[in-house]
Amino acid sequence: MAQADTAGEVGARALPADAGRQAGSAPPARARRGMTTWRRQRLAGSLFLAPAILYLLFAFALPIIYNVILSFENSSPATISSLTAPFAGFANYRFILDDPTSRQAIVHTFEFTAGSLVGQFVIGFAMALLFTLRFPGRAIGRTLIIVPWLLPLIVTGVIFKFLFQLEGGAVNQLLMNVGLAHRPIDWLDDPHLALLTALIANIWLGVPFFVLLLYSALQEVPVEVKEAALMDGAGPWQRLRLIIVPIILPVIEVTLLLGFVFTVKVFDLIIALTGGGPANVSQLITTWSYNLSFQQFSFGEGAALNNVLLVLALICSPLYLLLSRGSLRRSSGEGK
Amino acid sequence: MTRLQRSRALRWLCTLATLAALVVVLFPVYAVVVGSFESTDTLFSGNYYWLPHAATLDNYRTVIQAQSGNVLTSLIVGLGTALLALVVAVPAAYALAKYRLKVTVVIVSALLVAQIVPSIVLATSLFIIFHWVHLVNTYPGLIIADGTYAIPFAILVLRAFFFGLPNEVMQAARVDGASEWQTFRRIVVPLARSAVITVAVFSFLNGWGDFIFALTVLNGTNIVPITLGIYTYLGNYSTDWGAVMASAAFAIVPAAVMLVIAQRYIASGLTAGSVVG
Repeated sequence: MAQADTAGEVGARALPADAGRQAGSAPPARARRGMTTWRRQRLAGSLFLAPAILYLLFAFALPIIYNVILSFENSSPATISSLTAPFAGFANYRFILDDPTSRQAIVHTFEFTAGSLVGQFVIGFAMALLFTLRFPGRAIGRTLIIVPWLLPLIVTGVIFKFLFQLEGGAVNQLLMNVGLAHRPIDWLDDPHLALLTALIANIWLGVPFFVLLLYSALQEVPVEVKEAALMDGAGPWQRLRLIIVPIILPVIEVTLLLGFVFTVKVFDLIIALTGGGPANVSQLITTWSYNLSFQQFSFGEGAALNNVLLVLALICSPLYLLLSRGSLRRSSGEGK
Repeated sequence: MTRLQRSRALRWLCTLATLAALVVVLFPVYAVVVGSFESTDTLFSGNYYWLPHAATLDNYRTVIQAQSGNVLTSLIVGLGTALLALVVAVPAAYALAKYRLKVTVVIVSALLVAQIVPSIVLATSLFIIFHWVHLVNTYPGLIIADGTYAIPFAILVLRAFFFGLPNEVMQAARVDGASEWQTFRRIVVPLARSAVITVAVFSFLNGWGDFIFALTVLNGTNIVPITLGIYTYLGNYSTDWGAVMASAAFAIVPAAVMLVIAQRYIASGLTAGSVVG
């Protein structure tokens, strides 16, 4: 990093060097050429960054702020075209707290997220460990494991709907053929099962991400460390728990955090698979917010629920920034 | 059992476990392909056929007629998203990696947080904002919305790449009298080609596979991406599964092709984007 600085990391770093050379002269006169170069570069950097800043303001900052405004308004189909609607105070938030479906959607979002993370982590970690062993077929396995990513999310939802059908679905057919079920299970329309079915589909969807990240972390564990543990007579479980997990813990943390963020956002899968039903039991915050805003045209209530979701998702952002501090520190020039 | 025998048995057990996992991972894709060739009678027979049964091209005939325009729409949206992402992200990532700007920490933090924001939060507001600026039911509107998946990720991945670019390269260009823009355009961008391709592929796939923004910021019938086309097939009681499976196959193909082409970049791109931030 220090080397990179002297080699000409542009901008502010160039200034102290110039100032040093010109020591003693008055500030306005110092290194005229250096100053203009520095200014020119700062201007260029700002111009390079300008489209991104404009985009972030229009596509993120504005909608998030507007969503807050919307959540305090009493909007209706008639007010959509006018950007503002009558002030509603906390009525939309009160509605969210009183509405059984909204409350259930919030609880189900937590359950769905927790279940997904546990399932994805356990299966993903087991498979990542498996792929670190040497055996025939591990290369092809590692390549093909990413296939769930090939599919647009809505397609995944549709496929699982097809496979979990009551009659003529592959899952029921398999269960009955091997004798695990005597009659078809109503995976999608049984109120006790719909959310579980969505959970299974979401675990299927998320495992590749966990495998990929955890596998690449496991590859980074130095061979010497593993060998030393082996020499000391540590068993496989001890090696895993005492050596490997502590070493890759930072990656595990980031993976779980990103998994959390992905899962609270899940929308397409539910819409395609169950549509939130039966009787709204599989509504998550995202799908119920969509329902409130775009099907009942209560944009204010939808926006209030959105803010619950946003707070839930952003709770992790300080944690995420902390875990990404390497990247941030680099930006403030402290180096690693 | 001897040690050798035991380790050999263990290796085959690993292969078997991998095989079982691959069956679970690949079966849904297999089911789409097989299902897309089945007749309506077969699909509604109440039995699931594990192997193709009375194959027919009827579904593809139906879908090519009904969905060709939608596939084209999705291509436009995907390419538009990729273009927008590159125009916004490549210079921004370069600035954030190589220029010492006061706003860098703020912007990078904002990008990390932006990745967390759920799309439905943006969709609700964007729908009304787009009404106001007349972007509802337009390609630019949908592409701007789809950029919310692609752009923060694109900037962070490209920035991680630009960190690896030696400063001497730019310094040499500057000494030769190149302007900042020329240095960027002629030297930096060509060197970043592989990262730029990765980001373009990811952004294309984001636009191609988007459903939530298509569902919300489009509310007419003049622009219908393939994802929305598939969704409209899902009736409550009588889903035309043959047509659904054939359109799903269509929706998968370009994505699969692009991912296979860019496969070697993906693992590194993704880990760089999410772990390095």
